[in-house]
Amino acid sequence: MRIKTVDLTRKFHVGSSEIIAVNKVNMEVKESTFIAIVGPSGSGKSTLLNLLGLNDQPTRGKILLGNVDASLLPNQERRKIRLLCMGFVFQTFNLLPTLTALENVELPLALAGQPFEEQRSKATKLLESVALENRLHHRPKELSIGEMQRVAIARAIANDPKILLADEPTGELDSKTAEEIISLILDINKKQKTTTVVASHDLKIIEAADITYTIEDGKLELET
Amino acid sequence: MATTFVVAVGATTTRYTAIIKEMNVLFSGQVMVVSEGAIVIQAIPIGGGLLPQNYTENMIRNLTNVEKVVSILFITPLGVGEIIQPVPVNFSIGIPVQDWHSMLGPTPLREGGRFPTNESGTEVVVGASLADQHNWLPGTEVMINGYMLEVSGVLDTKLAILNRCFVMPLKLTQKIYNYPKSVNIISAKPIQGCPQEKLAESIEQRVEFVDALTEDRRNDMIQPVLAQIETWNLGIQTLIFIMSLILVMTVTVMSVSERRRDFATLDAIGAPLSYVFRVVVFEAGMIGFLGGALGIIFGTFGALSLASLYTDISLSQFFPSIFEIASPIYMLEIFLSVVAICCLGGVIPALRAMKMRIAEVLRAEY
Repeated sequence: MRIKTVDLTRKFHVGSSEIIAVNKVNMEVKESTFIAIVGPSGSGKSTLLNLLGLNDQPTRGKILLGNVDASLLPNQERRKIRLLCMGFVFQTFNLLPTLTALENVELPLALAGQPFEEQRSKATKLLESVALENRLHHRPKELSIGEMQRVAIARAIANDPKILLADEPTGELDSKTAEEIISLILDINKKQKTTTVVASHDLKIIEAADITYTIEDGKLELET
Repeated sequence: MATTFVVAVGATTTRYTAIIKEMNVLFSGQVMVVSEGAIVIQAIPIGGGLLPQNYTENMIRNLTNVEKVVSILFITPLGVGEIIQPVPVNFSIGIPVQDWHSMLGPTPLREGGRFPTNESGTEVVVGASLADQHNWLPGTEVMINGYMLEVSGVLDTKLAILNRCFVMPLKLTQKIYNYPKSVNIISAKPIQGCPQEKLAESIEQRVEFVDALTEDRRNDMIQPVLAQIETWNLGIQTLIFIMSLILVMTVTVMSVSERRRDFATLDAIGAPLSYVFRVVVFEAGMIGFLGGALGIIFGTFGALSLASLYTDISLSQFFPSIFEIASPIYMLEIFLSVVAICCLGGVIPALRAMKMRIAEVLRAEY
């Protein structure tokens, strides 16, 4: 699915001052492309990703998913898009601590109304595909950091999303695990033709990306 | 804790309210004559003067509308001026031997027992609860008020008042309690077709210094007391439930606050708001479910302990009649109320959880 933003802006008010986290961003991400967004801490990467992932509402501007202006959609529709068309990978994984790895991956499938048997078999296959077949019934606290991120990726792609967004997915990982995660995301991008946007400092992600954007003080520029 | 308290107090008061109500069962359809101003709970005199047996009985018997007259001496283990116990440990009831069944109805005796036949004998019938407490069987000798008597039978009944009583011939009762030729209550059964009110009126006109209490009047006398007990009970329950509601709400709000990230994650995954709402309300309901179940167990134990405390009967003897003290319907009502209140307590936290957005939560945390 193509993503296009038009003058996308997000402002926050902290006390009496105004912070422009994302400033008139115009970008276009073609279908199946792998995009990297790089920038220093506090530059607006996460805010931009949250806007693209419909987790946040822009102050101004448009987010076009295909030909639909998602910024105008009601919350219920945005929720449905997040569930069925998008996968989001967080820097801190955000797995639900009371659920096992298998249940965490089953959750989006259950929310999408899949029958229980299908949920179980698909979630199992997804965890096998990220080499966690021996960790199905482990809770997050029983997993290593790299394993947690792999569960988070499996959860993000459970409903076969057309768009995969990852906010610093290797930020918490050691270099070896980070490499595994990058190749996993690349693999998903190539095999499932998922439009992928990754916010990261990681040079390996930048090298792997089709297009790289830099962001500073909320302003996005194409890396040349 | 709340459920424990509600069950313990509620079951106890409900039980004693039921006992008070059942006191009228034995004298249904009869006019009870007591000395003027006597304190009567239903048909049981617990205070007031005595009646001269022969004079009063004859005066009543001579009235035209009377079918049967039975004099009764009802003794609680109290002396004059003593404070009434919440639940007396035992009662003594003296009835003329030819009139056993006018008070006891068709109440059977346990195997091997028989009703005394000699008005001046030393035989006594005892309630099942008393007999079980002291291992009394027919033939056992018991000391009552300094007199050695013999148990001739054990009443096989669930009526609380009969369970804790000695029933003996009237003359024997008058002798051992030293109330010669005196009684404190006389039951008068009207002839068929004569309303109780009419008989009561004629008794009060003909016999001086007595109150003739019809069944309705007896009920009316006790009704305000019962209503007050029930109001207090309801008030205490309401107060405790409100406190529980606030407590559960506080606990759930804290739990939701501690799991902001989880609820925000559910939002990011695309979980419908109704799902988030259900999760929180279900969790609050589970507190009620588990707390309610535990509370009912402890509360029932509490009710048994209170009953044991008031009656001096060992706790183990109450276990067979556990559901008579804490009725299953009452426990079910309390359990469902607790679950419902906890679910209600989850509503506001659930609404807060529904408002959590991943972008805001992450922004607040980093």
